[in-house]
Amino acid sequence: MTDRVEIEAPLDSAYQGVIRLIVGGIAEQAAFGFEAMDDLQLAIERLLAETGGDGRVQISFEVDDGHVRTRIGPLREQRLADALQQSDGETGTLSLRRILSTVVDSYGVEEAEDGQIVIRMEKLGTPLS
Amino acid sequence: MTVEGRAARAAQQAEDRELMRRYHELGDTSAREKLIARHLPLVRSLARRYAGRGEQLEDIEQVGAIGLIKAIDRFDLEREVSIATYATPNVVGEIKRHFRDKGWAIRVPRSLQELNAKMSGAIDELTAQLGHSPSVAEIAKSLGTTNEEVLEAMEVGTAYTALSLDAGPGGDDDGGEPMDTIGTEDAEFDRSEDRATLGPALDHLPEREREILRMRFEEGLPQTQIAERVGLSQMHVSRLIRRSLAAMRAELE
Repeated sequence: MTDRVEIEAPLDSAYQGVIRLIVGGIAEQAAFGFEAMDDLQLAIERLLAETGGDGRVQISFEVDDGHVRTRIGPLREQRLADALQQSDGETGTLSLRRILSTVVDSYGVEEAEDGQIVIRMEKLGTPLS
Repeated sequence: MTVEGRAARAAQQAEDRELMRRYHELGDTSAREKLIARHLPLVRSLARRYAGRGEQLEDIEQVGAIGLIKAIDRFDLEREVSIATYATPNVVGEIKRHFRDKGWAIRVPRSLQELNAKMSGAIDELTAQLGHSPSVAEIAKSLGTTNEEVLEAMEVGTAYTALSLDAGPGGDDDGGEPMDTIGTEDAEFDRSEDRATLGPALDHLPEREREILRMRFEEGLPQTQIAERVGLSQMHVSRLIRRSLAAMRAELE
């Protein structure tokens, strides 16, 4: 059965630790291993870091055994969309896109109202058996 | 100081200024690298003052090195001060700010800090023993504690500061503002133009951190394999990745 969890938090960096803790708890509920949990935390952390730290953010999670779907937003489109749509570039460079491609299994952007966007990500936990 | 000592110091300062001139006026990044290398002993010396406060010395040195880089990048050639004199408050300011920003983590109960210290070894042992990255429940069981305490203890070890490289020249305590992929992507991501990547900021990281990022995001290696290659615990690798990415992002702001 899918469990749904929603939080709303300030984007201020002072809340990064709180959000990490919650994401860790979500990943634990999905029976993720340490590394998959760490990946999900990193993905959300890097996305939020691109928002500039002003305002608030809504994050929702759909939690299944070994599977977490995350939606983040609505967020101001331009700032984050720019960061997400960087090309991978040449070897030796690192874009947010590459980071997400590495740490989550899939991700995408949905358009929301007022030109804002919602980021969605899916992360599968490493099988524990 | 002896006459010879003063002469050697004056010669070193003259070399520093020449390197600084090459960097700022000619854009010679190799001169910048040399300046960083020449002054890392200063960073290590300053970092040692802050050892024993719950942070590993090498992590403090890394933070201090960011302060040094800020000082080098912001140095005004018109200033009649030595680079060491100019850099010291930047380095100290960066380290103090790091500890201040970690205040939440440092105030957590000692029992959680001790649990964090044990956890690093436990994760590596369980990974080897179980053949997979252990869950929070498995870590908790092996350490005789609860899932919640494990999560809290992880946070103790992962708190970090986003290292900004925008500190003003004063650099005082409060003045420092500071592969192949496995995923699939939506077509939505291809709509807009590219923008600068974090790439240039990679250059400011220590070699070890650059190599860890390369292994993780270019080779796509999992943390466990990276940890084996570089001889660190998985948790330490995780923390270095997180801290490096935050530092790189801050530099672009």
